Amino acid sequence: MAGFGIGSEIASVAATATVPITAPPETPKLPPREWVKANLFSSPFNSVLTVVSTAILLTLSWNLLKFIFNPIRQWNASATNLRLLMTRAYPEEQYLRIWVCVAIILTLAGSSMAVWRTGSAMPVTGLGRKLLATGALLVLLALLAPFSAGATVQWLLAALVVAAVGEALRRTGGRGETERTVSTLTLQVVALAGLVASLWVIPFGHHSYIPKRIPQVMHEPGTVALSTKLPWTIMLVVVVAAYFGGVLLRDRLAENALRVTLVVLWLLAPPVLVYLILRDPDFDMGHVIGTDIPIFLAYAVLGSTLLLWLTRPSTGEIGRIVAALVLLAGFATFLSPMRMVLRLDLLLLATFALAAPTFAGGLRARKRYTGAWLVLLGVMSWLITSINTASTVRVPGGFFIGGLAITLMVAIFTIVLSVPLGIALALARTSSMPIFRLLATWFIEFVRGVPLITILIFFSIMLPLFLPRGMHLGEVAAVIIGFVLFSAAYMAENIRGGLQSVTRGQHEAAEAVGMTTAQKTVFIVLPQALRVAIPPLVGHCIGVFKETSLLAIIGVFDLLYMARYVVPGQTEFMGSARESILFVIPIYWIVCSRMSKASQRIEQRTGLGER
Amino acid sequence: MSDATATEPTGGHTKDLSRARDMILCEDVSKWYGDFQALDKVSATIKEQEVVVVLGPSGGGKSTWIRCINRLEIHQEGRIIVDDVELTNDLRNIEQVRSEVGMVFQQFNLFPHLKVIDNVSLAPIWVRKKPRAEAEEQAMALLERVGIPEQAHKYPGQLSGGQQQRVAIARALAMEPKIMLFDEVTSALDPEMVKEVLDIMKALALSGMTMMVVTHEMGFAKEVADRIMFMEEGQIVEVGTPTHFFENPTEDRTKLFLSQIL
Ligand SMILES: Nc1ncnc2c1ncn2[C@@H]1O[C@H](COP(=O)(O)OP(=O)(O)OP(=O)(O)O)[C@@H](O)[C@H]1O
Ligand SMILES: [Mg+2]
Repeated sequence: MAGFGIGSEIASVAATATVPITAPPETPKLPPREWVKANLFSSPFNSVLTVVSTAILLTLSWNLLKFIFNPIRQWNASATNLRLLMTRAYPEEQYLRIWVCVAIILTLAGSSMAVWRTGSAMPVTGLGRKLLATGALLVLLALLAPFSAGATVQWLLAALVVAAVGEALRRTGGRGETERTVSTLTLQVVALAGLVASLWVIPFGHHSYIPKRIPQVMHEPGTVALSTKLPWTIMLVVVVAAYFGGVLLRDRLAENALRVTLVVLWLLAPPVLVYLILRDPDFDMGHVIGTDIPIFLAYAVLGSTLLLWLTRPSTGEIGRIVAALVLLAGFATFLSPMRMVLRLDLLLLATFALAAPTFAGGLRARKRYTGAWLVLLGVMSWLITSINTASTVRVPGGFFIGGLAITLMVAIFTIVLSVPLGIALALARTSSMPIFRLLATWFIEFVRGVPLITILIFFSIMLPLFLPRGMHLGEVAAVIIGFVLFSAAYMAENIRGGLQSVTRGQHEAAEAVGMTTAQKTVFIVLPQALRVAIPPLVGHCIGVFKETSLLAIIGVFDLLYMARYVVPGQTEFMGSARESILFVIPIYWIVCSRMSKASQRIEQRTGLGER
Repeated sequence: MSDATATEPTGGHTKDLSRARDMILCEDVSKWYGDFQALDKVSATIKEQEVVVVLGPSGGGKSTWIRCINRLEIHQEGRIIVDDVELTNDLRNIEQVRSEVGMVFQQFNLFPHLKVIDNVSLAPIWVRKKPRAEAEEQAMALLERVGIPEQAHKYPGQLSGGQQQRVAIARALAMEPKIMLFDEVTSALDPEMVKEVLDIMKALALSGMTMMVVTHEMGFAKEVADRIMFMEEGQIVEVGTPTHFFENPTEDRTKLFLSQIL
C-alpha cells in the first residue's frame, strides 16, 4: 500500500518534470539595429530625448572620472587607513580575533548557502552577454578616463579581452539541443578567487599607517602586505570548504533540523563574536564560581521542574495561571534592587512557561522543550557574565572597536533584536486584550513621533541616570537599546500591515481544527503576515543600516565618522574628506544592494506555489 | 413547530437512528448581528451517524447556524451542546469541541504557505500531540482516501479547486472528528469538479460520520440525507426525510422555495 503510494508519487513528479507543457511562443528577438530603432528612436521626440540624455550621462561620467583620476586626489588616504576605516584602533597584535570572526561568519554563510540551496543556473549565453556589456563599459571608461596613453592602451586591451570572451561564450552557449548553463555559485567563487589571486600578483602597493608618537606613513611598491593577502586567501578556502561541508551535511542529515541549527547559530553569532571573541572578557573565576554558577544552577533546577510540570497535558488551567504569576513576578523584580541576571532569567522562564501549553505532549517532547530552555538559560548566563566582565582588549577612548565593524555591529544587533520586538508590538496592537492594545499603540505612536536623533541622545546621555544603582551599561549598548526601540516601532507597523492581510478565512480554518490562539499565530498567521511584510521590512533594515551614520553625532566612531573626520584629520592627508567619502559610498551601497537582492530572493522563494 | 426531533425520519434509505445518542443539541438558539436577528430560536437534535442537509434561500441563516456549532460565531441566547459539552465562554470547552468537530468551508481556506501534507498533518501534530512521523503517515492515508496522494508535496495554490477542497476535507478528517460540518463546499467549484467532492462526502456519509451539510445540491440532498431541514429568516421552517420534503412538503414557504429551484 505504502509502496504503491510512494511509487505513484514519484511517477507523477517525474511526469510533471519531464512532460513540458507546450512551450510559450518565442518572442522574436530583434536584431540590434532594429531594437535601437524601436526603443530609442521611435519618434522625433524620443530621438531628442535619447540624444540629450546620452550627452548628459557622458558629461557626468567624464567629470566623475576626471575627479577620480586627478593627480591631486589623495587616494592613498583610504588605502593607508583601511584598517582604521574597518575597525578603528583595534590592536594590531589582537587582529587574529577579527579574522576568526570573519571566518566564523563565512563558515556560517557558506554552509547556509549549501543547506538553503542558494545559487541558480545561469545560461552561458546570458553570461556571455553580461561580459560583453562589461567589456563595452570598460572600453568607454578607458577612453573617457584621463589615463596616460600607455595605461589607456592596457585598459583597452583588457576590456577587449573581456568583451571577446563574452562574445565567444554568447555564440557557443546557444548551440546544441539544450541550453548550457553555469551555476552562479561557481561564477562567484571564480570571481572571488580572481580577486584574491590579484592580491598576490598585482602590485597594489603596501600601504600602512604606523601610529607611533610621530605618525608615519609607509608606502612600498609590490603586492599588498602578507598580513592582508594571507588571511583573505584563508577566508576564501574557509568559505569554499564550508560550502562543501554544508553539502555533505545536507545529504546526510535531516534538512529541517540542519536549518534550525543554522538559524540558531546565526542568532547566537552576533553576541558571541562581539562579546566573547572581539572583546575577550577577563573572567574573574572567584566571582564566576561564587555567584554566577550558583544562580544558573538554582534557575536550572527550579525552572526545569516547573517546565516539566507545565508541559504535562493534564496540567490544564492552573498551569496558565502559574505561568502568568511567574511573568508578574518577573516584572515585580524591577521594583526592588537586585542583580540584573536574576530578573532576566526570571523573564526568560516566564516566556517559556507561557508558551508551555502549546508544546505540551509526551515525555520526549517535554524533555526537549525543557532542554531548549536550559540551553538558552546557559547561553544567556554566559553572555551576561561576559558583558559584565572587563575586557582585556584595551583601546584608547570609547568603545573597543569602530569603523565599518561598529556600523555593521549596531545595524545587525538592531535588526536582529527589533524584529522579535516589532512582532510582539504588532501582535499586541492587534490583540483582543485592550490593555495590550493600548500600551502598544501608545508606545508605537510615541516613538514614531520623536526624531531618531533625540532618542539616541536620550539613551546615550540620560539612560545611565535612570538605571538602578550598580548597573552599568556601556554607551554602545545604551545606544543600541534606543535604536532597537525606535526601529521596532516602525517594524511593528509594517508587520501589522501584514497581519491585516491575513484573511478571516485563515483564522477560522485554524480555529476550526482546534488550534489555540498561540498556535494559530505562530503557524498560520505570522508566516503569512511576515511574507507580505518582507519588502517593507527589508526596506526598513536598509534604512537602519544607513541611519547608523547618525551615531557619529553622539560620538561613536562609525564608518562615516572615520571617513569624514578622522582620516582627513591626519596631517599627511589633510583635506582628503572628499576621497574618503567617495570611498565609503560604495561600501554602503554594496551592503544595501545585497540586502535588497536578498529580499527579492526570499520573496521569490516564499512565493513558491502561491496564487 | 421548529423542533426538529418531532419529525421522525421515515425514508426508505435511512439508517435506524432511533436509539442513537444525540451528537448536537440546539435549544432555542438565537443570534443577532447588531439589530438584525440572524437566528431565531433554532432548536434541533442531530443524532450520532446522522446526515442532515440544511437547505434554504440565501441569507436564511444556514451559515450562521452551522458556524455557531463550532463557535466561529457566538450565539447570544439558548444552548448548544456538542457531544455532551456545552458551548460557553469557557476556552477549554471551545477547544475541545473544535477538535472534535471538523469543518469544511466554501472558500477552502487551505494554508497557502504550507504544503498539502503539512496542511493535513499540522493540527494532529500540535493539537493532538501526535509524533510527526505518525501524523504524516496518517495524512498520506487520508490523501489517498480523498484520491490525491500524488499532490502531497505541492502547495495549495498549485491545485485545482476540486483538489483543494478534497485537501480541506482531509485536513478536517485528520483530527479524527466525530462530526463534520460542510458549508456550501461545492459552491466555489467549477461544475466538473463538483462531483469529485460530492463523491467523497457520500463515501464519508456511508462510513457512518455524523454530518451537517449546507448545500444547494438537491441531488445530494435527496440521495444522502437522512433528514432535511429548511431554514428561512433565521428559523427552521420544516424538517423531514428527503421523500417527505421533496414530494409532499407541508409548509407554504417550503413549496415556494422548491418551486423556485426545481
Ligand atoms: N458578520 C455579519 N454581520 C452582519 N450581518 C451578518 C453577518 N453575517 C451574516 N449576516 C447576516 O445574517 C443573515 C444570515 O446570513 P447567513 O450567512 O447565515 O445566510 P446563509 O443562509 O448562509 O446564506 P447563503 O446561502 O447566501 O450562504 C444574512 O442576512 C446576513 O446578511
Ligand atoms: Mg452561507
